[in-house]
Amino acid sequence: MSSDTEATPVRLASPSTLDQRDTGAGAPFRESVFDVSDATVTYDGAPAVQGVSLEIHRNQITAIIGPSGCGKSTFIRCFNRLNDLIPSARVLGRFMYHGEDLYGAGVDPVEVRKRVGMVFQKPNPFPKSIYDNVAFGARVLGMKENLDARVERALEQAALWDEVKDRLKKGALSLSGGQQQRLCIARALATEPEVILMDEPASALDPIATTRIEDLMHELKREYTILIVTHNMQQAARVADMTAFFSVERGAEGQRHGILVEYDRTDKIFTQPTDKRTEDYVTGRFG
Amino acid sequence: MRRSFQEELQQLEATLLEEGELVLRAIRGATKALAESDADLADEVIAFDDDVDRQFVAIESGIESLLARQTPVAIDLRLVLAMLHINLHLERMADYCVTVAKLVKLASGLSYEPKLLDAFEEMGERAEEMLRVALNSFSARNLARAESLVELDELIDGANRRASEQVLALGGDLQLREWGLRMLMVSRCLERIGDHAVDIGEQTAYLVTAEFREFTDASRAENVAPESEQLESPP
Repeated sequence: MSSDTEATPVRLASPSTLDQRDTGAGAPFRESVFDVSDATVTYDGAPAVQGVSLEIHRNQITAIIGPSGCGKSTFIRCFNRLNDLIPSARVLGRFMYHGEDLYGAGVDPVEVRKRVGMVFQKPNPFPKSIYDNVAFGARVLGMKENLDARVERALEQAALWDEVKDRLKKGALSLSGGQQQRLCIARALATEPEVILMDEPASALDPIATTRIEDLMHELKREYTILIVTHNMQQAARVADMTAFFSVERGAEGQRHGILVEYDRTDKIFTQPTDKRTEDYVTGRFG
Repeated sequence: MRRSFQEELQQLEATLLEEGELVLRAIRGATKALAESDADLADEVIAFDDDVDRQFVAIESGIESLLARQTPVAIDLRLVLAMLHINLHLERMADYCVTVAKLVKLASGLSYEPKLLDAFEEMGERAEEMLRVALNSFSARNLARAESLVELDELIDGANRRASEQVLALGGDLQLREWGLRMLMVSRCLERIGDHAVDIGEQTAYLVTAEFREFTDASRAENVAPESEQLESPP
């Protein structure tokens, strides 16, 4: 037996090392991208979602879950001012983006949407070529330099490049559903946003395409901050660092509106939720 | 509401409690075989372990299937995990009963110390009582009752230490010493059954509170038995 083997002392993890084990979340130390306080969205004066306050952390995936009608899509659309396009909608409360009021005077919604990209439930490529789809936002925003490189990089990031590099001029509608959704993600990435909003991005896809989107999200969070609305609780459990559970509440006059019930690390939401309503929802006892 | 899933969970719990009942019978049988030096009953206890094992495997595969298909979370997940652990504890307890039964057979025909046998009968009854408390507190989700197992365990631990002292004091007779050696292991088995009952109590506490913690920490000095009760006096 060699002497250095004998000399090696038996090392057990010290208590301090054990305490510092990575729990996979570490949320409290993350930089905040959005700081939302008391957000309410009304349609024709009736609240769709009411009194939501939460912080969105940088380079994390935040999932919003909850039953139909809890206002989760309405809420996520506030982050890129998409509700501005609905005449009856009003957004109240404060959406701070790196300390700046997203709805402040002088803030250009187009600039907001450049920084905060969005992917929708149904893949919605334009009836144009694959290349033109990805280049679209960049062209509109006047980011025309090195467009080829920009398109390639976006397609690479969306894990689509290898599948389409030989047919960039072909129509985007010739792609499969899963490919179309990744193309939409590439289109959102091409303008170099900081945040990507995803509203049910995989609900129209088969399980394999869904897995690809989820893998992609894990890759993308290194560079981007992601907010995802999903009906699929297991999807939230799989991909999200933080999870917000929204539910439906009845107002004084019986009208229904969404509220934020609980917001915490995803593992906490799915193992030890604090609120009974969260527990009932995640365990399927809801309704 | 995921009705079929909830029904499956309830069914698994019922099967687990049935397994608990079987183990209670095994403890009772082993204790009686011991107290009465009944080798035939010891054989029955040994054979009976197959029934417990069958139940164990049924629960194990039921949980595997549930995890694969239903993805339980939160309280449901804790129940599944608690059942997984409790199932193993029950199976181990039954194994200790088998060991006791085998030792009864090995010790049969040897000269023995009746006072010590009485003490073992009491230990066996305590072990049975502990398992009953553990099962009841689990099925009632009763934290306080689960925690009461710690005190019951101290009694059985004390009895184990006293048994050791009594064996040491048995003296020079060869047969008696061989018998004493077997009985040391019997004592240890009964004491371990009590430990597993406490472990089941910890699973109940985890299920109820969502936090896992050990009721007592065996690695901390203050929980070591007082010097007077230890086997060897310190140097």
